[in-house]
Parts: sequence; C-alpha cells; structure tokens
Amino acid sequence: MKVSIVSLTCCAGCISSFLNAGDALLEILSQHFDIVYSPTFVDLKEVQSLDLAIVEGGVRTSEDERLIKEVRAKSRVLVALGLCATHGGITSLGNLVSAKKFLEKEHSLLASSKLPELKDLMYPLCSFVDVDYYIPGCPPMPLLIIHSLKSIVSGKAPVRHQSVVCTECHRKIVPAKLDHLYGIYEKESDPTLCLVSQGFVCLGSLTREGCGAPCPRAGFTCFGCRGPADSLLYRSRDMYAFLVKVISARTAIPEEKVKEELYRNPFIFHTFIFSGSDRFRARERII
Amino acid sequence: MTSRKEINISPTTRIEGYGKVTIWLDDSGNVSDAHFYATEIRGFDYFLRGMEADRLPFIISRICGVCSTAHVLASVKAIESIYNTQITETAKKLRKLLLMGQTISNHSLVYFFLTLPDFWFSPEEDPSRRNAFQIMREKPEVGKKAIALRSFGTHIMDVIGKREVHIVSVIPGGLINPLKEREREQLLNEAENACEIVKEALTSSKELFERNWQDFVRFGQRKTCYMALTREETLEMYDGRINVIDANGRKLADFADSEYMEHIEEKTSEWTYAKFAFLRSNGRSDGIVQVGPTAHMNINRKATTETANRELKEFKSKFGNPAHVTLLLDYARLIDLMYACEEAKELLEDKELTRTDTRVEVKSRGGKAVGVVEAPRGTLAHEYVLTSNGHLKYIRLIIPTQINNAAINLSVKDAATEFIRDGEVKPGFLNRIEMVI
Repeated sequence: MKVSIVSLTCCAGCISSFLNAGDALLEILSQHFDIVYSPTFVDLKEVQSLDLAIVEGGVRTSEDERLIKEVRAKSRVLVALGLCATHGGITSLGNLVSAKKFLEKEHSLLASSKLPELKDLMYPLCSFVDVDYYIPGCPPMPLLIIHSLKSIVSGKAPVRHQSVVCTECHRKIVPAKLDHLYGIYEKESDPTLCLVSQGFVCLGSLTREGCGAPCPRAGFTCFGCRGPADSLLYRSRDMYAFLVKVISARTAIPEEKVKEELYRNPFIFHTFIFSGSDRFRARERII
Repeated sequence: MTSRKEINISPTTRIEGYGKVTIWLDDSGNVSDAHFYATEIRGFDYFLRGMEADRLPFIISRICGVCSTAHVLASVKAIESIYNTQITETAKKLRKLLLMGQTISNHSLVYFFLTLPDFWFSPEEDPSRRNAFQIMREKPEVGKKAIALRSFGTHIMDVIGKREVHIVSVIPGGLINPLKEREREQLLNEAENACEIVKEALTSSKELFERNWQDFVRFGQRKTCYMALTREETLEMYDGRINVIDANGRKLADFADSEYMEHIEEKTSEWTYAKFAFLRSNGRSDGIVQVGPTAHMNINRKATTETANRELKEFKSKFGNPAHVTLLLDYARLIDLMYACEEAKELLEDKELTRTDTRVEVKSRGGKAVGVVEAPRGTLAHEYVLTSNGHLKYIRLIIPTQINNAAINLSVKDAATEFIRDGEVKPGFLNRIEMVI
C-alpha cells in the first residue's frame, strides 16, 4: 500500500506519537506500508498517487493549502491525524488575534516573495478538502493511531470512540459541596474522586474517549485534546452551557457563579476553538 | 535577485521541521548566495499573552512535538524562578530523568531515522530507497534496536510524565506524582539494554566516520562560537551555568539563567519566519553561535558517566578543541545519547528516586525570569514576565534552531559552493545539502 505522511503547520507531535507505537509500528511498516512521500523521513520530493495519506497539522499558510489539495487529489483515503488537522488545535489560539498585526509587530522586516502567505486563521483540513477519517488528539495515543490505521489498511472501518473521557476514568463522581472552583494546581487532588467533584475544571465530560484518560488518571485535569464527543456534535448542543451544568451539579456551586469563574479564562477551552465551523459534519468519520 | 539562476530544494527532507533551500548562482554558474528558511509560523510568543502561568508549561510544550519535554522543563524553571520556589531533590532527580528520556527518544529518532540513511547508503543512491524504512526492510534487527532504544526514552516520559508526547505531570512546584518502586525497576531493566545498543552504535559509527572522514571534511566546517549549559565543564543538561567559547576555544562568557538575555540577542530577517539569535557582545556576524551536541563536546571537558566520559575525551583529542567539522554533529550526538542512557541508568539505580516528596506548594507572584535547559538540539531558553496575579505579560523564547540558524545557512552555502562549479551540479548534490542541515 502506497502511503504518505504529510505535515502541515504543526509541532510534529502526532507523527512522534505514531513512531512511539513500538513493535506494532515495525509490523505495520514492514508488512503494510510502502512510504513514498514523507519529507521528514523519505527523500522523494513529489507527491505520488497514493492509497493512503496520513496528514498532521492544519492549514495556516497558502503553501499548506496548496499541498493539502494536491495530496487530496492524489490519495484514495485521507486521514486527518491529531487535533491541528481535525479541529485546528493549539495554533487556533492565534485566531483570537490578528495575523496581520502579529506579523507587523514581530516580523516587521519580512519582505520575501518566497515565503508562503499567512492565512487569516488556522484552519482544520476539512475547511479545504474532504477528509475520510479524523483521529483527534494532542497527540492521539500511539495504539489508537496504529489500530485505526490497521483497520483502514485492511479495508475495514476503524472502531469509533463516541462517548466521553469520564467513561475511561477510574475516578468516582460524588456530589460535593464547594463554594468556589480551584486553579489546576491550586491544591493537591484526592486520587480516587472525580476532579470536578473536587472543584477542578476538568473537561472530561465534554471530551471524546479513546485516549484511556491518562491525564485525569495522573491527577491532571482533562483539557479536551480529543475534541468534543458525539453527543456534543449537534448544532443544538451548547457545550459551554453543558459544562457549566456538569460542574454546578457536582460541586453545588450555583451556575451563575461557575459561569463567572469560567469566563475569566478563555484559555481553558483552547482545544475547542473551531475555525471553519465544520464541527457538525461527518460525525461518523471521527475515530 | 530574481534575474539570476536559482536552485530550489523544497521541501527539505529528513530534517526536523519544515523548510526550503534556495541557492543563487552568478552569471558564470557559481554559488553567490544560499538561504535555508522556515516557511512556517504559528505565533506562540504572541497568542499566549494573558494566559495564567500555571497553564503555560503543558500548553507551551506544543511548540515542538519531538522535544516537548525540554520545553516543559524550561517553562517550569522560569516560572519557579519568578515564584522563588525551591523544588525538592526528588523532583529534581525525576525531572533530570525526564530530560534524559527526552534526549534518548529524540537523538535515537534523529540518528536511526534521519541521519543513518546518509551513511548507510551513498548519496547517489536512488532517493526512493535512501531512508530508514528501507534499512528496516533490509536489516530488521537494526529496526528492532532503534525501536527498543527509542522506547526506553518514551517509556521514561510515559511513566514519569504520564504521556509520551506532551507530558502533564511536571508543574510549577515539582511533579504531581511520585515514581512507584515497580516502575523504577521496570525502567532500570530497559536502561541496561539501551546502554548496550548505544555502545554498539558508537562502535560501528566510529568506523564509518574513519572510513569517510575525508569526504565529511569536504562538507565544510564553520568556525563559530559555541554555547552550552555546563556544570564546571562537566556535561550537564538540566541545571548549570551557561558557558560560551570562541572559535579558538577561549572562554567568552560564563553566566546564570537569569543573565541569558543580556548575552544573547535575537533579530528577525526579511526572508525567513525564523529569527536569528547571536552573541550580543560580538554582534550579528561575529557573534554566530552553535549549540547542540558538538557544542557539548567543545564546552565540556568531562562527563559524569563512564563510557560517555571516555568517548568525550577521545572525541576532543581526535577532532581538536573546539571541533568545527559540520558533520561531527552526528558523532557528537551519539556521545550525548550514551551519556543520556548512562545517566538515566544511574538515576534509576538510586532508591531515593521513589520518595514521595515530589511537590512543594507555590505562591504565585509577578516578576521576570529565564529558564534554561539543554534540549536535544541545544540550549533552550524561555523568558517570561508575569503580572502580580500570575498572568503572562510578555514571553520570549530562544530555541536552539534560532541560534544555529546562521551557522546552518553558512554551511548550506559552503556545501553548495563545494558541489556546484561553473554551472555544473554534481550528482547527489541535493542530499548533501540536506545532510549539513
């Protein structure tokens, strides 16, 4: 099977995660994949016609846009790997400020016609091309990537993860009585109780499962890197109001007060910034 | 510039990060100039402003997925310095171990997946075959070793950092979780094997280097200043002072994290999104600095672990002090890797590592500080200014590639000059240019 690994604007963490799959990686590389285009690993400069394209990163520049369109045109199956490719990811925080202003301030000397132009926003792939499978995560866990790719290689639809991170988290949800929320490290957490019940803003109740809940298991709040779960992908679903309700129910803090505390911090939701507003489409393709 | 003949290499392959190379030829067909430039920009230093400091370490790790742990560590060091927090010895050891894990996973990736194909195949080899996947098909046992070594690094990050890429356990004040005894024993087992793999790789690479030495020298050398974190001229990656030497090995500066920005300055250019960093006292053209494995060899006189110490000394006596040949980087990287494996093993042998005092309380406050660690590619610095309620007011990051940027560009030009004469481009040229990057 002819495969390409393409990186657009990203941190390369998703490919890193793919390479962390150990023996399963060796197996897939030796038995299934013939990697014919991957600037990071293979010296070929031209995109060929492909059976499978694995794309990490989102579209931030005109060059990204050109490349993803070319890859799409030449690929039978296209997989968006990681949050930048599926949703826009961390770089979407830049959508909150003007790209032009940023360049003027930080790179006032820029004058080269050789540099690709910056787009107004950071876009997920689906803003420009049709995506066959989405594997969100920052980065997705190695085995999730490998299992999904193996299914795709054998022509089967990958196993989907539809529910929320809480279903994979061992912590016990208990109704608590608190008077305010806590910052992520403001106090030491109890290792057995739900982090929300302890007053932390954990996004597990919004976020798609499939990661194994490594963060809340370690005592760190889920920050939503798998994107919204199926149930939240309806146009009528207000994710923000939903979270306020969950927190209020588990802590007994009045909804108004929860809202007020959440509003103070736009960065809590950095993984939930959507550009291109395609979040309602193609639910059944999100793995 | 556009009227002259141009050679473009796009995208550059088998390097970390994404870039292009443009080489300009004059009328007689000789190299007049060359640029290696970054075509990507995300604007971290701009859009993170306003964020609360506690959230910074795990978000800022998204700058680089292959060296994320180094970013987290530089970040918490800067924040703790502002908060005036002293972390416990246990936390410090665990963080050091994490940084070794980072070094191992990154160096092994670069060695086996990116540079080994250059030595395994000739540069004239069919480009579709000249890659790590082909090596794995031809010699599966090399692939197995590469994966085992990299796995040791990623397991350290998974077990202690709680995620393999973009760790979450390291927070201002220490680490959220202590290490369990069972986990320590398990990692220690892997450490033995990792050390053996690196020793083998060193032996075979040394042969390769000796065989191809004349060829490697032709790729050029760039006599610049060198900089690295060090503990009294002993190899150190987490906690030490920063030393700078000039091209003759004379010490130019010796300073602490907090003085970093007084010594290093950065400027933007008109032709690349990447910024250039250089030694302030010497100016932009004389103050070109290189960081990374070769700089580690040039700055330090010894290492605390046995094999790495022997190899470091051998390197220095063989290639001069400082060593300048560009491709020695790959050799030096293996010595780094040796050190990281041995150091990780020594840390894991320490039973105190599983103590539960990994976290102290922090008190947030405003101020300005710099956190410095040795990332796999070289010295990494994060500077933050926090408001009194602990929000980010200003951020400046000086990453190793920015420092090496100038030297890389000069090396590209040198290598291009060597391989292009009178309009004639020698075969294997493209790959050779990429080898120096």
